[in-house]
Amino acid sequence: MSLIDAFEKSATAAAATVERVARTPDQIAAAVARVAPAGPLAVAAPLYLPAELFDACRRLPGAFEARSRQAMDDCVVGITDAFAGVAHSGSICVCIDHEYAGFVSLLSRFHVAVLPAENIVERPADLFRPDRLNGDGLRRNFVFITGPSATADMGPLVRGVHGPHRLHVIVV
Amino acid sequence: MATPAPAPESPRAVANKSSKRTLVAAIRMALRIESPAVRRNTQTFNRNRYAATSALADYDQLKDRTRAIKERAIAGLPELLATLEASVKRNGGHFYLARDAHDATHYIAGVCTRAGARLVVKGKSMTSEEVGLNRVLQEQGIEVAETDLAEFILQVADEQPSHIIAPAIHYSRERITALFKSRFKTDLPLDTGEELTRFARERLRQKFLAADAGITGANLIAADSGSIALVESEGNIRMTTLLPPLHIAIAGVEKVLPSRADFAPFLELLAASATGQKLSSYTSIITPPLHAAPVLTNSDTAPRREFHLVLVDNGRMSMRQDPVLHEALYCIRCSACLNSCANFQTVGGHAFGGETYSGGIGGSWEAGTRTLEAARFSELCTGCSRCVTQCPIRIDVPFLNSTLRQRLNQRDANKIAQLFSTALADGGEVAPLQKLFFGRYDAFGKWGSLLAPLSNWMNAIPGARLLMEKFVGLDRRRELPPFAKPTLVEAAKNCVARVSDPKAKAVLFADIFTNYGSPSRGLATLRVFQSLGIDVVVSDTCADGRAALSQGLISTAAGQARHTAELLRKHIEDDRDVVLIEPSVLAMFRLDYRRLLTDAEGQLLFERLRDHSFDAVEYLWAFMQGTGLDAAKLFPAARHPLGKRLFYHSHCQQKTVGSAPATEALLRAAGFDVATSNVECCGMAGSFGYKKEYYDLSMAVGQDLFQQVTEAESDGPRVLVATGTSCHEQLASGLKRPVFYPTELLAALLPQLDG
Repeated sequence: MSLIDAFEKSATAAAATVERVARTPDQIAAAVARVAPAGPLAVAAPLYLPAELFDACRRLPGAFEARSRQAMDDCVVGITDAFAGVAHSGSICVCIDHEYAGFVSLLSRFHVAVLPAENIVERPADLFRPDRLNGDGLRRNFVFITGPSATADMGPLVRGVHGPHRLHVIVV
Repeated sequence: MATPAPAPESPRAVANKSSKRTLVAAIRMALRIESPAVRRNTQTFNRNRYAATSALADYDQLKDRTRAIKERAIAGLPELLATLEASVKRNGGHFYLARDAHDATHYIAGVCTRAGARLVVKGKSMTSEEVGLNRVLQEQGIEVAETDLAEFILQVADEQPSHIIAPAIHYSRERITALFKSRFKTDLPLDTGEELTRFARERLRQKFLAADAGITGANLIAADSGSIALVESEGNIRMTTLLPPLHIAIAGVEKVLPSRADFAPFLELLAASATGQKLSSYTSIITPPLHAAPVLTNSDTAPRREFHLVLVDNGRMSMRQDPVLHEALYCIRCSACLNSCANFQTVGGHAFGGETYSGGIGGSWEAGTRTLEAARFSELCTGCSRCVTQCPIRIDVPFLNSTLRQRLNQRDANKIAQLFSTALADGGEVAPLQKLFFGRYDAFGKWGSLLAPLSNWMNAIPGARLLMEKFVGLDRRRELPPFAKPTLVEAAKNCVARVSDPKAKAVLFADIFTNYGSPSRGLATLRVFQSLGIDVVVSDTCADGRAALSQGLISTAAGQARHTAELLRKHIEDDRDVVLIEPSVLAMFRLDYRRLLTDAEGQLLFERLRDHSFDAVEYLWAFMQGTGLDAAKLFPAARHPLGKRLFYHSHCQQKTVGSAPATEALLRAAGFDVATSNVECCGMAGSFGYKKEYYDLSMAVGQDLFQQVTEAESDGPRVLVATGTSCHEQLASGLKRPVFYPTELLAALLPQLDG
C-alpha cells in the first residue's frame, strides 16, 4: 500500500475524513466549501505551503482574520496547513506557534487541514529523525492530530470535546 | 470493642490505607458502589490494548528501546537535570527543582501570585495530585479549574483519582448525571454522554478564555532541548498550554530523557498501552515558552509568554538509590498494569490504590512519595504476573510488590509471629502469622500429610475452621485442599516403570501443592507420559519458593529457589527435561528465579533451568508433534466417559509464560469441543482468595469466569478443565462441580492396565 493510501485508511479509522485535491487555490477552496458548515471561517497563514494557495479560501463566505479571543471562540471552521502526515497512525502534524495555526486548529468546531502528499511519513518516530522532513520534527513546536478531539470520561465515547468535533484532511 | 469503620460511601475516607482495616473498608465500598463501572471501563481498555499492541509489528523491539533509554536516563539523572536546567533557561523559561510537595506547591503559588493570576486552568497531572497543588492555590485565593473532564468530575465530587490515566473511571454515565444534577442547579438535559460533555465543555470554554495561567503535567521531557511531550485526547491540555500567557508544567524528575529524539519509541507504545490507540487525538511536542505564538487577548496589549518547568523530587531521588524500587521510576504511567489486573478490574483504584497512585505500580509510588504504610493496598497484587508482559518498559511489578510486602511484614509482625518466624522462616525472616502460614505451606503440608487423616478431620471441624480464621486469617468459607496420603512421591515409588528405549527423558517436579494436595494430577501425568514412551521419574519434593515469594518472604524464597535449582540440576545433567504440573512453579523457573538467584552461579542455574522447564501438557504436545503422534488416535475424545465437551480455563501465570496455547491445541487435536475463558485470573490467585480479608473480592473476581462458563454451557453442559491448583479450588467452590487437570482427562482414554 502506498503511504498516501495507508494514511487515508488510518486517518479514516481515527474518525477523520480525507480527500485528495489538486494543489491549486481554487480546488482547495472548492473542497472546503463542499464540506464546511456555514459560519465564521478562520484561515491560518500556511507555513509550508505557498501563502497564495489559501487565497481563494480567504474569499469564502464567513472568512475572517481572527485576532481576539472572542472572535476565535466563535469560529466554526478553521483552515491550516499540516507539515507532515503519518501513514501508520493517520495523524497530521500542525505547527502550533506559527501565526494563528495553533488556535485555528484547536478552537474551531470543524478543522480542515491541507497536507502536501510528499510529506507523508510512515511512523510517528520519523518525526524525530534528522534525515526526514529536513529535521523539522526535531525543531518545531507541533502537535500530532489524530482524528477529532474525543473523550470517554462521560461514559460512552463522545467526539468533539474542547477541540474540534470534526477533522477533514485535504491531501494536495 | 470495635470502633465504627470510616463512612464507607466516601472514597476520601478510605484514601489513606495505612491500616488494613481501612483497606478492607475500601474494598467493601468499591464492591458495593464502583465495581460495575470500573469493570466495564478497565476491561474495554484491556481489550483495546491487546488489539493495539498486537498491531505493532515491532512491539518487542520498541519495549527494548524504551527500557534501555529509561535505564540510562535514571542512572544519569543528576547530569540530565543539569543539562535540562540549562536548556530551559536558554529557551527563556524558568527551571525549578522542588525538594518536596511543600516546596513545589509554594513555588507555583508564588509564580501565580506574582503574575496576578486569579484563575488557573489545569490539565490532568497526577504529580499535582501527589503534591496537593489545588488546595495550596485555593488557599491563596486563586480559582483552580480542572479541565480534563474526568478531573472535572472529581473536582465536583471532591474525590481522589481511581485510575492513573482515567481518574474518574469508577463513574458510570448515570452516576455522573446524578452528580451534576445535584451540584449544578440546572434544567439542561444531562442524560447522555453528549449532553454531559457539552455541559462541561461550555462551562470550561469560558474558563479557558478567561484564565490567567495554565498548569499541565508532562509525559516526557528532553534534557537536550527542554522540549516536552503532552499526550491527551480532549484538547484541554493544548488549550492550557496555548491560551494563557503563563504556562507552568509540573512533573516528577523521572520524566526526563536525554534527548528529544528519545521521544520516538515512547509515543506509539504509550498510546497503544494506555488507550489502545495508534496515537491519542493530540500528542503535543513543544519547547516552551511558545514565544512565536501570539497571545490572544480582547485588548490591544498582549502580555509576553512565560514558562516554568517545576520538577518534583518528593522522594524520587531516594527511590533512585533503592535497590528494588528504583525500577518504578521507569514507569511512563500508561496504566497497562492496572487494566490487565483482575483485582483492579473488580474494585479500581479507590480500593487498589492510595491517595494518588493506584494499581500494581501504584504501591511503589505511594511508598516512594509518601510512606511505606501508604503502600499497604499493594496487598491486592496477587503476583498473578499478567501485567509483566504488558508493561511497555518491562517493569517487574509483582516483584516490586513482593518487596513492599517484605518491608511491611517486618513492621507488622507481632511478638507471637516473631517467635514463629524464627522457627519457620529460613534466615529468621519475620512476618505476621497469616503470611507465615501461607508462605511456609511446605512445612504445614509436610506435617498435615504425615498426620492425615487426622489433620483433614481437624480441618472439617467447624470450631477448628474458626480458630484458623482467627489465628492465621484463613477464611472459614474456604476449604483447604485435603492433605494427601500417600503423597505423590510416595505413590510414584510404586508406579514409575522404566521405559525401555525411551524417546525422551523427563523428571516430574513434585511441587508441594501436587505432592501434598493433589497427587492424582502427577500420577495421571506419569501414566500418560509412560504410555507414549517417555522415560519419566519423579523428583524429591521441596518448596520452590512461590508460596514464600507471594507472602513477601523473599530471603526464604531465595533459599528455596537455590535448593530447588540444585536438586533439578542433577536431573538436567542426566539429560532430563523438567516437567511441571503447577504453572505458578513454571513461572518461578522461567521468570522469578532470575531475581532470586542473583550471583553469577545462580544466574547460570536459572538460565539452565529456564531453558529445560516445561508445562506438562506443553511438553507432551511438543513431543507428540515432534514424533508425529496423532492426538485423535491416542486420545479419541468421542470415547471419553465424560463426553467431549469441555470448558478449559488456563492459569494466569501459564498465560504469561506462554504455555497455555499448547493445552488448547492438544485437546482440540484430540477431538474435544473446547470452550475457553478469557479472564486474566480466576480470582483465587494462590493463597489470596483464602484470606478472610479478601474472600469477597476473590469471589467477585471469579464472577466473570463463572459467567463465562454459564454462557459456554448455553447449549449443554461441559466438563471443567483447569491447569492451576488454585483455579481448581476457585472453579469448584464457585460452580460446585469437579474440575479436572488436563492429563487426568487424557489418562481416562488410555488402554486400561491390569491391576
